[in-house]
Amino acid sequence: MSMSLDRRQFLLGTTAVLGAAALSPAAALAQENRLRQLFWGGQARADRTNGVNALYTASSGNEVESSFLGWGDYWPKLATETAGGNSPDIVQMDYRFIVEYARRNAIAPLDEFVGSALNLSDFDADQLEGGKVDGKLYGVSLGANSVAQLVNLAAFAEAGVEPPNRDTTYDDIRAMGEAFKSKNIRGGMKVIADGSGSEPMLDNWLRQKGLALYTAEGKLGFTEAEAIEWFTMWSQMRADGICVDAETQALDTNGPLENTMVILGKAAMMPSNSNQLVAFQTLSQDDLTISSYPRIAPGVGGGHYRKPSMFFSVGGSSSNKEAAAAYLSFFVNDPEAGKVLGVERGIPCVSAVRDVVAPLLNAKDQIALNFVANLGDLLGALPPPPPAAAGEIDVSVLRVVSQEVAFGARTAEDAGKFFVTEAAAVLERAA
Amino acid sequence: MTAQSISASARNKGGAVGSTFWSRAWENHAPGYLFLLPWFIGFFGLTIGPIITSLYLSFTHFDLLTAPRWAGLDNYIRMFTNDRNFVASMRVTMFFVIFSVPLKLAFALGVALLLNRGMRGLPLYRALFYLPSLLGASVAIAILWRQIFAGDGLVNQFLALFGIVGPSWISNPNYSLWTLIVLSIWQFGSPMIIFLAGLRSIPQDMYEAASLEGASKWRVFWKITLPMLTPVVFFNAIIQTIEGFKSFTPAFIISGGTGSPINSTLFYTLYLYNEAFSFFRMGYASALAWVLLAIVAVFTAFSFFTSKFWVHYDD
Repeated sequence: MSMSLDRRQFLLGTTAVLGAAALSPAAALAQENRLRQLFWGGQARADRTNGVNALYTASSGNEVESSFLGWGDYWPKLATETAGGNSPDIVQMDYRFIVEYARRNAIAPLDEFVGSALNLSDFDADQLEGGKVDGKLYGVSLGANSVAQLVNLAAFAEAGVEPPNRDTTYDDIRAMGEAFKSKNIRGGMKVIADGSGSEPMLDNWLRQKGLALYTAEGKLGFTEAEAIEWFTMWSQMRADGICVDAETQALDTNGPLENTMVILGKAAMMPSNSNQLVAFQTLSQDDLTISSYPRIAPGVGGGHYRKPSMFFSVGGSSSNKEAAAAYLSFFVNDPEAGKVLGVERGIPCVSAVRDVVAPLLNAKDQIALNFVANLGDLLGALPPPPPAAAGEIDVSVLRVVSQEVAFGARTAEDAGKFFVTEAAAVLERAA
Repeated sequence: MTAQSISASARNKGGAVGSTFWSRAWENHAPGYLFLLPWFIGFFGLTIGPIITSLYLSFTHFDLLTAPRWAGLDNYIRMFTNDRNFVASMRVTMFFVIFSVPLKLAFALGVALLLNRGMRGLPLYRALFYLPSLLGASVAIAILWRQIFAGDGLVNQFLALFGIVGPSWISNPNYSLWTLIVLSIWQFGSPMIIFLAGLRSIPQDMYEAASLEGASKWRVFWKITLPMLTPVVFFNAIIQTIEGFKSFTPAFIISGGTGSPINSTLFYTLYLYNEAFSFFRMGYASALAWVLLAIVAVFTAFSFFTSKFWVHYDD
């Protein structure tokens, strides 16, 4: 069969297509109450978010057009849409990027809506503070979390070692590691992953010394001496077989959770975050829990802080800022929304919502909630948002240098010096 | 008729002569151009436009959120004077191209020679051997490669049969790049198909003459097959070299986009991607892209220059 199309038919078809194309912007304009939302996360987060969106549409009549991406794809997409003057109305924002986006007006200040469209009267003060840049509110925290070590309880039981608790120190971990070595469980599982390339772990360690990774001015908050001490400590742990070896640690590319040391069964604990316990538990047959990062010495605390795990912000070019602010208000205050969300994005920041959510949580979620609520003397002040180049220092300096030490391409001494010079150079270049 | 109107009509006539050329050209080719229009829109809008924009951006600092700032030659100067990662990524990419291209071509030629011996079920084998080329750049294969070459992966399980304890190939900086080279060689299908076609077009009478003279197989290969095949070798070498420089997906997936361990798989394209989409330095990334273009162009030009001395065209 042959298909023929005379000129008239062709023109007719073309006109129809053009007509449809011309109509669609009009169709979009008709829906001016539609909010566009973009966030990073997986399917579980999307299901919960869509659940809240349905509740919101039912209560306000405004529709929410929501889409999500993985962390790595999210930032290029958001930056590209922002560059095109087409940013979504509601964007998910991270503590790492909020200053950059706020200072470039890529997200809008929300102060004018507070008290009217945006009700924050019962919002936790420290979480509210975390969303401010230069004194103005740019992000509403969607939950608090904290760094935490993921602990494989089953492995500790097999090794006959008492699992770590809030008083565990780095020295205690050495002792646990010796016990793991002598028991030799699961083909030589080590007690801990190699944390030398973990930015949060280094930050926590520095904070216990009264220092910080970055100062409020966006400079390095430590010197060569501390960096050398850090790499030396881990080199010894590696040499003594307390933590995993270089080759094994390098399997973790900071990408999929499946490639992490605890999930691969290479180590019984590793640095992680309180809200990730749920996600990790789904990947493991063993009973997992979380514990604090080790103390540098008995009785020394202040390394942890309650971090806004993520924010919702309103796009700078949004034409519907007030409706977006109202959505944010609903998202954090509505008890029914809270029930749908649980603690997947972190611990809710409104106490009334916490009270509604707490009884509904499963055992693992309860652990996360209690952990963040009871940090006690481990808790220190919220550090200032990191400088814009922090991500680059993490990816292309700290992790590379830590691998160079692990594989023997640099001494710990050399690595400490190099790390400080190189990180300073990256900060300099970004400034 | 007045003089004025005559001159006016002459002008009109003159105008008509000029426009006849265009209108005739239009009449002859209009349908063609019309049908090409979608392609033109794509070509100018999606190819030429972005290329020119990226050339402009390579002379600016641009972070996507704020307007580009003119930077003159800053990006290029930094690249050649003060960027360790540029040097590192260039070294990784060169190593990859220099080893993967010849090995892949040799492997492809070997398989093509084997298949050219007139075996049964040739179309099936051809399809099977071509399959990796279709799959090779995919995410799934890169993930599979991770599993195969991991510490307790398939390769080491096989080695364990002989009592050898293999390293974790993909996460050891001494071997990680080689796993990517092996992956590239495994995708030998498309040069193999081209070699096969080339082998088929070598006149049989040459082989007949050689066998009458009693030439050994080895000698036949070096004196007849290979020289006759040089145009195809040349074509494949150029295409594969360009592909090698552009290689991105496997390294991106296997190292989680970081080029780890210790930047041993930091391909040039991966570095470019990170500069653009992880650190939002679009200007610098554009400059990197243009330098890559220049390098590929130089390599290709060099190949064409040397081809005079080793490629035989039978004319």
